[in-house]
Amino acid sequence: MPRITASGIGFHYQQQGKGPDVVLVHGMTGDLSIWFLSQLLGTLSRSFRTTAYDLRGHGYSDVSPSGYTSADQARDLLAIMDALGIERAAVVGHSFGGVIALHAAVIDPERITALVLSDPSFAALRHLEDLNRWGHWESFRQEAANAGVELSGEHWYDLARFFDQVMHLEGERLLKFRQAVGLPGFKRLMRLAHTTCGEDAKAEAGLTLECIGSVDQPTLALFGSESPFLATAASLSELMPRCRQRLVPDARHRAPEENAVAFVALVEEFLLEQHSTVPASRTQP
Amino acid sequence: MNTAPDRDEIQRDLAAILEARLGLAGLGSLEHETRFFADLGLASIDAVVLGEAIQEHYDRAIPFNLMMADIGSRSERDFAIGELVDFLHIQLAKSGER
Repeated sequence: MPRITASGIGFHYQQQGKGPDVVLVHGMTGDLSIWFLSQLLGTLSRSFRTTAYDLRGHGYSDVSPSGYTSADQARDLLAIMDALGIERAAVVGHSFGGVIALHAAVIDPERITALVLSDPSFAALRHLEDLNRWGHWESFRQEAANAGVELSGEHWYDLARFFDQVMHLEGERLLKFRQAVGLPGFKRLMRLAHTTCGEDAKAEAGLTLECIGSVDQPTLALFGSESPFLATAASLSELMPRCRQRLVPDARHRAPEENAVAFVALVEEFLLEQHSTVPASRTQP
Repeated sequence: MNTAPDRDEIQRDLAAILEARLGLAGLGSLEHETRFFADLGLASIDAVVLGEAIQEHYDRAIPFNLMMADIGSRSERDFAIGELVDFLHIQLAKSGER
């Protein structure tokens, strides 16, 4: 299993393909397998040296008690690029991975050539979202309730609150929750619940509106057509000078899972456009 | 000469790899119907690591991207050990013919 040490943390990563560099960043509570399951890693590796890694505290990377803000993890991303000899890269980030990607472009703009922001939600833009308009919210809340966790409309995105509830589940509710998320998912959540990850994920961490607006790399804001964060999508297009918005049909917040085919096609099209390269398999007559 | 292992051998190899690399001890009851996630309690990230370990064990490249994408397209997102054995049997026979 390929591992590399960066920022004092051991990170699990996977790398495939040759060409200009692309780095894939998953979201909070996920892991790099999302890029295999969606086939994004394999597809991009036809044209790019494509690197995916597990965020700290996730997958097969080490857990640290703190250091989970977008600023901390943007520095992780840049340190991983250093350690792997990646001078510059386009970065694809899903959900909080998109926040990390954008923050890395703020910290070291010379090293980020382009951005794909898949359904991110930024602390600085959170006031824009009216989650009551998200038709799927009620069913999601019902699923959580069935699993023994009560989520309020104001706090559904609040990982700290979620972790706090999970850590204090007992008896039948604990069993229900374990059954609902599965043992591996439960273990992963418990591992993170003992860190500052929940609080850190809520923090603006210096990623202000001004910072977001200062990023002028070509950016694709890629949101599910039924995403709860469509106001963020519109705002990014207004704030960022070279940002274009595209919607993944029939997807909510998890387009790489909910409509992987369309998601991968849109990401590949955008990245190929930035690098004007053609996949090797397409050069055949 | 085709030196590809047969299905029984692959299944024994898988049990050994699952124990050594993913910490699953006592897999004597590993059956074709055993599901990777629902029965063994593993996660998709474990499938990525298992794929690597299998390639190291057989010392050859195996297109696990295809299998992972297939799992990703399933509503239940799970697969049976028998499916993995069949997949490996085909892939190892191909590379064994080289």
